[in-house]
Amino acid sequence: MKRLCLFIVAMISLTALRAAELPALWAERLKSVVAVEYFTETETDRRPSVAYGVVVDAQGTIILPSAAIDPRAVPSQLKEFKVYLPGDPASATAEYLGQDALTGWHFVRAEERLRAQLTPITKFASASATPEPALAEDVWGIGLRNKDEDFTPYLLKSHIALIQSLPQRTAIAQHEVAGPGLPVFNREGVFMGLAATSFGQTFLQFSRSERGGSPTMLINVEESSAFQVAEEVLPYLGRVPKNAFGRPLAWLGAYGFEPMDREVAKFLKLESQSGAVVSEVLEGSPAEKAGMQARDIVLAINGQPLPRFKPDRVVVSYVEREVERRAPGDTLTLTVLRGAERVDLKATLGDEPKLMREAARKYYERLGFTAREFVYGDAVARRVKVAEGSGVVAHFVKPNSPAAIAGLRTDDWIKEIDGVETKSFEAATEKLAATEADTLRSEFVLLVSRGGETAVLRVKLK
Amino acid sequence: MSKGFNQLLDAVVRIDVREVAFESGARRYAASIGSGVILSADALVLTNAHVASPRAVELSITLSNLERVSAKLVGWDHWTDLALLRIDVADAKRRGLKFATAEFGDSSKLFPGQTVFAVGTPHGLTRTVTRGIISNNNRYFEDTTGVNGYETGAFNTWLQTDAAINPGNSGGPLVNEDGRVVGINSRGYLGANNLGFAIPAAIAKKIVAGLVQDGAITRSTIGLVPGALQDLENFYSLALNTGVLINSIAPGSPAARAGLRGGDILLAIDGIKVDGRFPEQLPPIQNLIASQPVGAKLKLTYRRGAQIADVIVVTEKLESSVGEEWALEKWGMSVRKVSRTYARVNQLTSDAGVIVLGVQSGFPAEVAGLSRGDIITKINQQPVESLAVVQAAHTAFEAKPAPTLLEAQRDRRVSLYILKP
Repeated sequence: MKRLCLFIVAMISLTALRAAELPALWAERLKSVVAVEYFTETETDRRPSVAYGVVVDAQGTIILPSAAIDPRAVPSQLKEFKVYLPGDPASATAEYLGQDALTGWHFVRAEERLRAQLTPITKFASASATPEPALAEDVWGIGLRNKDEDFTPYLLKSHIALIQSLPQRTAIAQHEVAGPGLPVFNREGVFMGLAATSFGQTFLQFSRSERGGSPTMLINVEESSAFQVAEEVLPYLGRVPKNAFGRPLAWLGAYGFEPMDREVAKFLKLESQSGAVVSEVLEGSPAEKAGMQARDIVLAINGQPLPRFKPDRVVVSYVEREVERRAPGDTLTLTVLRGAERVDLKATLGDEPKLMREAARKYYERLGFTAREFVYGDAVARRVKVAEGSGVVAHFVKPNSPAAIAGLRTDDWIKEIDGVETKSFEAATEKLAATEADTLRSEFVLLVSRGGETAVLRVKLK
Repeated sequence: MSKGFNQLLDAVVRIDVREVAFESGARRYAASIGSGVILSADALVLTNAHVASPRAVELSITLSNLERVSAKLVGWDHWTDLALLRIDVADAKRRGLKFATAEFGDSSKLFPGQTVFAVGTPHGLTRTVTRGIISNNNRYFEDTTGVNGYETGAFNTWLQTDAAINPGNSGGPLVNEDGRVVGINSRGYLGANNLGFAIPAAIAKKIVAGLVQDGAITRSTIGLVPGALQDLENFYSLALNTGVLINSIAPGSPAARAGLRGGDILLAIDGIKVDGRFPEQLPPIQNLIASQPVGAKLKLTYRRGAQIADVIVVTEKLESSVGEEWALEKWGMSVRKVSRTYARVNQLTSDAGVIVLGVQSGFPAEVAGLSRGDIITKINQQPVESLAVVQAAHTAFEAKPAPTLLEAQRDRRVSLYILKP
């Protein structure tokens, strides 16, 4: 019903555009959008997913929004990328290039034969400096139906209701203007921005996020009413990842930034700016080496005071982006408030330690679980010294498998296998592989740590 | 029934309790009903710790002749769920009130199948007797929040009975046919039929003696959490009935400092061999440590892999994870001190701080954004080393309201808050 209403509204206001112009603009711009299908293969199942993407260059490079792929999925589990043109049931193959840390975009490249039919979005960018949409300005975009309808394109149209820094400049339209990840244009057909993923229909609820809590959002997953303006998109289109993980990743190692609200800022006589409290400084991190301490309040980066945002929470993303936009080896001067004193810290950004999604892993079908290498993030999560963090973590436990019946749970830290300490991933997998292969074995024993508690699990194989 | 049984009936009392609760962000009072049994001519009444605790502000006892008399808490021990009260003897004397006393029986001689009776005040129904049998005389039943949020059951096993035990029976006696008290009824399984539990008289006698003498039971701890070895002896190549599994070690505890860790097998304490094959065997082992004086040196013999080693551990005083509570009325917030045990269990860097128990809507704490579970670590830049720091800041705010800066932690995230007048 909602969609129908919306469609009627769109039809009525369409008459405001010059009739001859929009169909031509539409046909041309449709060539810069595609639907992308891929499969996620886990230990026990295989699921198809569909996302919408925008063509960014002549090499057939396509960007998908960050939410297009489940962050828990590992690149090696992502299979069979296919690209569909709007309204066309035929598909072309594509290659997954990886995710960019700063923008969060996933990059995909379509096979060569399709490239002639694609038009990069840059063709529709304004020749001069990209204008930010004005309040009340009319904007339109493209939506795509589902796969069963051949991704048939349809028109969405609205006008700008509000523009905010979140911290990227984000325009919020009165109604949905495009499918998530798809472009938005003005009346002249100039590229105005990229629709945000699953942005709340009722954006005001987003603005009024409660401190510490997550904002409440009503989500229309197929269409979005908010878009990041062109200046937040165009400069970053060249950030094609060099590898699936988007490395190198800049790393500061300050954990849990928390925003400072107006009342606190006023109390600390910092009315004109914002700040971010550092909850923890991670072991061996660039932040630690720079002398940062837990509870320091970051006030400025390279002499620039942290701007004030609405809502206050946005400052956290701002600080994180300031790190992400840089590269390992870059230096950063952080001005922090420590007690009553201001301290300048010079940090040289490092390379992010191996992430959980990069960790080596191995699935044992007969035992019924996947062992994953213990990485830096595991040590942080379990509050142990990095040096103490050896062994493997149960990454997946197959329901009703011998491991599951013995009580093994996802995220259990396996510290011993058959009474032998698991000193490394290699040692552990060697032992597990031998156990898996030994069909005469009737049981084996795991010593696991779960929330600081230790448990001995007897896994019966027969 | 026997003469003893009739005398016992006259020794069972109803206890009406009015106690303070801090959960709502303010000081609130709640009323509840329990049972108890008069033990001595000097008017000691034994009941459950979850009936009468230091939170009680008013304890009223209804004797078997339906006369009411007030009482005071002598002491409590949440670990065994026992509390001892004393009737206002002067008042009773002035009013010429008489009461009978009960006697303990030998709980160690109880056998499964033996007939027992539960006497008490279920749902306020005074002097209700229910009958059943001993279903199990050695039940292991540990609960970290069993007694109104306090830990219980680590140091004793329980009598299990099918004599009907309902809310209000708590603190009443479980008696044999002679009217001897063999247990103190404590709890039942919610949603189950006839699964009731009682503290054995043998334990109760010791606790009563301790409470009369000191008003509290002092125990030692080394921070070791044992686990049953059941079925794992082969794996650890242990002789049958040898050793107890160390399930976990509290971070920062004496056992942790001595280098013990989860997965080690504890073989002996001061040369006394321990056998923790089954869960029922764990409380006596816990008691072996708990009954040592605070600061005692214990020699623990343990096995790790194929190695057997000795280590000396110095005991420290056992504390509950539940700290002292208080309501800060002007702020609309109630708090509980972070105890050493709480800090260790939750892996906090220190025991400085108070936990927010509740906030009242519209009051400064709620307006600032604080909520239940936050741990306030600093007030106006001053570390919250004790409850007194918070109380002093609150008193200052009452006298002269001014914006107050709080630093608080939620999960592992640190935030700042302003309490505005």
